[in-house]
Amino acid sequence: MTASILDGIVLGLQFGVLATGLTLVYGLGGVLNLAYGQMAVISAMVVLLAMDAGVPLLAAVGLGLLAGGLLGLLLDVTILRPVYRLQGEARVLLSLLLSLGVAFIVDGFLNWRFPLRGLSLRVGGEAVEILGVRMRTGSLVASGITLLVLAVLFYLFRFTRLGRAIRSVIENEEGARLVGIDPHHMLRIILVLSGVLAAIVAVTRSMVAPVNVRAGFSITVLALIVTVVGGLGSISGAFLAGLVLGIINSIASAYIGTFLSLIILLVAAALTILIRPAGLLGVRE
Amino acid sequence: MLEVAGLSAGYQGNDVVHELSFHVDEGETVMIIGSNGAGKTTLFRAICGLLPSSSGQVTFMGTDISALAAQRIVRLGIGFVPAERHLFPRMTVGEHLALGAYPHRPDPETMRVVLDLFPRLEERRRQVAGTMSGGEQQMLAVGRALMANPRLLVLDEPTTGLAPKLASEAYRALDVLRGQGLTILVAEQQVPLALAISDRGYVLENGVIGLDGTSEELAADPRVRAAYLGVT
Repeated sequence: MTASILDGIVLGLQFGVLATGLTLVYGLGGVLNLAYGQMAVISAMVVLLAMDAGVPLLAAVGLGLLAGGLLGLLLDVTILRPVYRLQGEARVLLSLLLSLGVAFIVDGFLNWRFPLRGLSLRVGGEAVEILGVRMRTGSLVASGITLLVLAVLFYLFRFTRLGRAIRSVIENEEGARLVGIDPHHMLRIILVLSGVLAAIVAVTRSMVAPVNVRAGFSITVLALIVTVVGGLGSISGAFLAGLVLGIINSIASAYIGTFLSLIILLVAAALTILIRPAGLLGVRE
Repeated sequence: MLEVAGLSAGYQGNDVVHELSFHVDEGETVMIIGSNGAGKTTLFRAICGLLPSSSGQVTFMGTDISALAAQRIVRLGIGFVPAERHLFPRMTVGEHLALGAYPHRPDPETMRVVLDLFPRLEERRRQVAGTMSGGEQQMLAVGRALMANPRLLVLDEPTTGLAPKLASEAYRALDVLRGQGLTILVAEQQVPLALAISDRGYVLENGVIGLDGTSEELAADPRVRAAYLGVT
């Protein structure tokens, strides 16, 4: 049981970072990016190809993060342009449809070009014993990086002018404009950040289990579930939901079976929404 | 300072205000009087760039701002306090005031002036806006706008939802700002309050300016007395 919970925390932290990227873009710009998982997979493939070409590990990871950020920027200047002309529900729907189209195209291309490939980063070293459970070094390094990312995000949003400006747009877009903040400028920054976060999740995940070329949609679905449970647009909600669902997922995998874990996550998400329609920490306007 | 010429604006192609022309000079306090639905909010939203105007021109300190977005206009020196206030419900008083100075670091001197004007905000610095009373929220909205050191402060019905005592307190604060030389443009239904601090005024009825004059002239006008001051 302890082992499952520890595994769940490792997984849950990653869920949290993953969902943060999706929830920020939604909260800030009313854009639901269903090509999010593909951004993670492309980043993983960039790391893989760079390493195939002999680029050292850290530099390859750097290229992967750069690719993630550029993909976010690319979405902003291409398919999201018509989306920005719409408001409210129409905006969410068009962003969802267009990004889904992108996701299918990217998925098809990756499966054709790099069939069966997967990124698997081996972080060496002895297994370490924590609370009587032997944890693989890869899991610990992945969790360490994820916690560091969490700390950076927390600092950014709590203590910097840029972070405050981003939160103000989520809270009240018109209010933000009245203090001189350009909401679209903030959204562009957040799209880049979300691409980088997707890449970070791909890299840290690959230290625990392979991230293969077909993983895009399941990553998006996981991010969506965590986002909805945490409350759309809530960063702390994304992390809380990530941890809860990560632990549920690990326990379910260990005691019931991996094949059912996604269904169990969906049930947990559905129950949360029935009890709290706005999600754990969401606020309904 | 502010020159509005032939301004029309509205929603979905239906103009609510029609070819309005008026001006605000430096150091003046000017009020726009009008009942609900007269077009005060539409007019202010168009001036401040939250609503595109369908025709006409708005000039602020020599710059044509008719086609600029709200975030650009604010940085030119117009502080706008909308009737709905548009605060950030989950952010603290301190964060609001810091954001008011965006993109710059908050200026300690300006912060001092704002906190002296509204000591209540200093007491509540760590409280989030969503849990504050209507009066406090109004102070915060004005305080946030002042943090940018605006040349012109535009207020849309600052007494909306306030009890009479708080409403007169709000106007006392505006009177202080006026005394400091700030140029103010205010829209109001509660005419007696606005009359007391204004130099001039315009009466807006069904989207057109029906009457204008100094505060004394308006206070003496039988139509204003009957419609807005409850005197027959």
